[in-house]
Amino acid sequence: MNRFLRDELDIDDLLFMDLPPITRRSALASIGGGLGSLGMISALGQNGGILTKPHFAPRAKRVIHLFMNGGPFGPDFFDPKPSLTKYAGQRPEGADLRTERPTGGLMEVSYKYANHGQSGLSISELLPMTAKHADDLCILRSCYTDNPNHGPALLLMNNGTMTPRVPSMGAWTSYGLGNENADLPGYVVLCPGKPVRFSILWNSAFLPAKHAGLYVNHSNLDPNSMIPWLKDPAGKPGEQRKRLDLMQLLNREHAKVRGGTDPRLEGRIEAMETAYRMQFSAHDAFDVNQENAATREAYGEGHFANGCLLARRMAERGVRFTQVYYGNGQPWDTHSGHDKKTRALAKDIDRPIAALLEDLKQRGMLEDTLVVWGGEFGRTPVSENADGRDHNPHGFCMWMAGGGVKGGYAYGASDEFGFKAVDKPMHVHDLHATILHLLGVDHERLTYEHAGRDYRLTDVHGVVAKDILA
Amino acid sequence: MQKFRLACVTVIVVFLTAGTAVAKDEKERPWAFRPLLKSDVPSVKNTSWPKKRIDYFILAELEKADVKPSPKADERILARRLNFDLIGLPPTEIENFSADAEIEKLLGNPQYGERWARHWLDLTRYTDTTASWLNSTAGAWRYRDWVIDALNVDMPYPDFVKRQLATDLMSETGPEDSVALGFLGLSPMYWKELQLPPEIIKTTVADEWEERVDALGRTFLGLTLACARCHDHKSDPITAADYYALAGVFASVKITDRPMMSEDLWLPVKSARQKVAVIDKKVAALKKKKPKPENLDEQLAVFTAEIAAMKKATPHYDMPMANGVVEAALFVKAKEKGHGTNLEFQEGKGRDLELQKRGDPNDVGDVVPRRFLSVFPSENGEPRRFEKGSGRLELAEALIEDSEPLFARVIVNRVWKQHFGRGLVDTPSDFGKMGDKPTHPELLDDLAARFMQNGWSLKWLHREILGSATWQQTSVAPGSEAADSDNRLYSRMNRLRLDIESWRDSVLAVAGSLDSKIGGEPMDLNSDKNNRRTLYGKINRRDLNKILQIHDFPDPTAHSPKRAETISPLQSLFAINGPLVQSQSEAFAKQIKGDVDVISRAYELLFQREPSAMEREVGGEFLKEATLADYARVLLASNEFLYVD
Repeated sequence: MNRFLRDELDIDDLLFMDLPPITRRSALASIGGGLGSLGMISALGQNGGILTKPHFAPRAKRVIHLFMNGGPFGPDFFDPKPSLTKYAGQRPEGADLRTERPTGGLMEVSYKYANHGQSGLSISELLPMTAKHADDLCILRSCYTDNPNHGPALLLMNNGTMTPRVPSMGAWTSYGLGNENADLPGYVVLCPGKPVRFSILWNSAFLPAKHAGLYVNHSNLDPNSMIPWLKDPAGKPGEQRKRLDLMQLLNREHAKVRGGTDPRLEGRIEAMETAYRMQFSAHDAFDVNQENAATREAYGEGHFANGCLLARRMAERGVRFTQVYYGNGQPWDTHSGHDKKTRALAKDIDRPIAALLEDLKQRGMLEDTLVVWGGEFGRTPVSENADGRDHNPHGFCMWMAGGGVKGGYAYGASDEFGFKAVDKPMHVHDLHATILHLLGVDHERLTYEHAGRDYRLTDVHGVVAKDILA
Repeated sequence: MQKFRLACVTVIVVFLTAGTAVAKDEKERPWAFRPLLKSDVPSVKNTSWPKKRIDYFILAELEKADVKPSPKADERILARRLNFDLIGLPPTEIENFSADAEIEKLLGNPQYGERWARHWLDLTRYTDTTASWLNSTAGAWRYRDWVIDALNVDMPYPDFVKRQLATDLMSETGPEDSVALGFLGLSPMYWKELQLPPEIIKTTVADEWEERVDALGRTFLGLTLACARCHDHKSDPITAADYYALAGVFASVKITDRPMMSEDLWLPVKSARQKVAVIDKKVAALKKKKPKPENLDEQLAVFTAEIAAMKKATPHYDMPMANGVVEAALFVKAKEKGHGTNLEFQEGKGRDLELQKRGDPNDVGDVVPRRFLSVFPSENGEPRRFEKGSGRLELAEALIEDSEPLFARVIVNRVWKQHFGRGLVDTPSDFGKMGDKPTHPELLDDLAARFMQNGWSLKWLHREILGSATWQQTSVAPGSEAADSDNRLYSRMNRLRLDIESWRDSVLAVAGSLDSKIGGEPMDLNSDKNNRRTLYGKINRRDLNKILQIHDFPDPTAHSPKRAETISPLQSLFAINGPLVQSQSEAFAKQIKGDVDVISRAYELLFQREPSAMEREVGGEFLKEATLADYARVLLASNEFLYVD
């Protein structure tokens, strides 16, 4: 990045973060001739992002990332592999890839597949409700990653490298595009517990701290338990406003006595007001009880259903990037008892996903909301512990929906056994490049200078999968 | 803490003299790699303004730009500024104030070490807990306390650095000093799944070496050496061979706990601990046994007694352990049987690394012997070779002697930046071409040279800066803002915002709740019983405390050169709704209740001044309907309590 621009940005971050545009303008005016250069104004962007305008016309304005932590097996759902039945128990040529743990022969997928929608996409019987949205899904059958361990793979999927020192995708998005809602953070992470590696997965690293994901444990649905310090525990209505009125009176006098030229003083006065409003707006945003019975019924019950519903509420309010982790730890990590666990997991996600897609569509939001589904890697077609499946970085499935991707489309292919991506292999860097592209961002041009070089989400890699763009 | 101090290192300041014959190649080197430039004190017109040598350099530039310095801040402001700056707490009294006396008093206060240790710990990615799979890091806090003590005794900076890199290899220090190795011992470790093939593990290990080289280069030299892992540095004179010559040092150490007592005391403890570990395993197995043995309690009692006897018979059984490193060369090898990887540590040995092409550990070139950077040759004209063990001690000596000018500039600039809110080089960990150029290069070199001449004493440096007319200017100077908008010329003082540590500590202090015990084990910041200084709040690298996280506390997984300063509604929520301000407001109210003039008393404690007529009036109005604690909540969360003029 241009050094001049970076300097301007630091000032921007210092002065104007999270303030509504009107305040930024007035603060700018109050700085006078000193900092009010053209570069400064352009660095402010529209919504507090570094980019004054996207690099291309965005197809998606926001992202909802449904994260199946632990790693699901694509051929259970979206990638039929009859050869697994044919060669069950054997390890034919092509199925002899190295696995992390000792593994046996190929293990059959017994779930029946059918073609769905006008597109005729093949989806297994485990996801009957999701299958009704086949024509919205863009299935990615050729994803692959670099490491078969959860930690590094989670980091690669979230942060674009396997070492825990760089910002996450959500933080980059918030940094680049800002937020559509001044009263909420630009990046929200929902998990009913803690995924492995925890907060490093949504950190902002060297980007300004405001871009870090707001982690919300939604296992308790009371908004006051989800957002820290959202409520004055002992407060009576009206008292808080009186305190704030006095504080702001004193703060304004304090700023005035000092010449009225320090925009940080004004900035904090505004942040106090934003915080005051957030008590209601964030409470409102995170309160699923405001949904009517029909909607609650449509999403169904359970943490994941609540997560999906909350994600829609975030998207609706302009949160740029929302992640919903399926659960605490790594629930999709089925090293044994794969069939039983997979059936239960599938049942738990099917209804909420279908409801989310339907809900977004009905609200006219699916077209500019990108929904992404997947884990940090996939699982092996060969068995582990007789009835489990091991980690598989060589090839796995994800899907996208809405936000400018082709619906009813399957991209790329894995080998005969679903072991390795073979046709149009899509590395995680390519996935990131594509997601940014859909948001109108050139992944090579969203950079940040740190420790002597320009960093970006995709490091020095990443190719946009143009075939999947609608 | 050590009972002795090392003799000051001999100072040989190599000067380049401005205007005289200068070796041509020296002039062509980028500024940061040149010897210190010797300048005469610049001549100034307003000779009555300067108080310290610094001021001449500053004033000369101001006069060149035809900008006047701002008036001196009043005593109250200076008292507040000095206290927050040096000890991170508000002043308690300002009767008979003299700035020089106040500086001496504060530098002698052990709270100085607490305040300034945290600045150092930002650089060294300090954490109280590391990943669960590692050895115990229960002793991490001892490193933090070592830094506090070292700053309080004003350990000369070269010793301070040398001990953190190699105290175990120094003849002057003993095992009790091994906590200093926390700089290395608390480095981030990345998970290595040893069922994976060595090709993958080698990458992870190489990433760790890169992290160490990065922390070393940026902390001590302000150089982004890690850039040279994949190719020669694009903008600075650092080659890929330089990188691997240094990385070899880190390939020759193993992170582990170290005893803090001598070998003869340690060996029996080690053996006893191993025996106890074996019994512990038996106990665990016994407890799991099904069906439960009938005489379980009796059997357990036997083991318990055995352990107790062992501990009793072993002097210093609970000997404290330091998070440090030992000499051991690491080789990543394929397992002989089956697939997977062995991490083979050859204790006591060092190793040289092969140059990894484009940073790929599976595509290596020639071996690069361990040595210092080629841009900083030693006296014999060649970069200093590292030949003893890992080479840590020689590395430390090379940093101090062979790259002396840069080594000094970097720390002087850090201290300057901490005092002024802006560095003479405002990229304090990047003095390379991509970093900022110094705004006052002659001043930086002059100050660095005098810092060296004055025994590399940080307290000397503080006195020099804080006693200057430059630092003592007022921050309220609207007149200077038009002419020097971003204050690059230092035509006024910058208004500084308290960081989370100072702000929280000050809230506790004015409420009379602060527990001022120095050092010891960390404590959860979320605990309502925690009235200790924020420095002692437990830092978990993998799960950063939320209060710290929202208040710009740096990510402890990497070296952090400077803190961001963000203003966010989450911070405001913490101020208006969080338990800290709420509970301390109650305490504060209790303290001043019964005073005839509570408003005056509150302003005295918080701001060391009388309230204005307006403040008295609105405060009085407010208190007609609200409690004194409510009033305290307002003042503690106000801007005046957060920003220091």
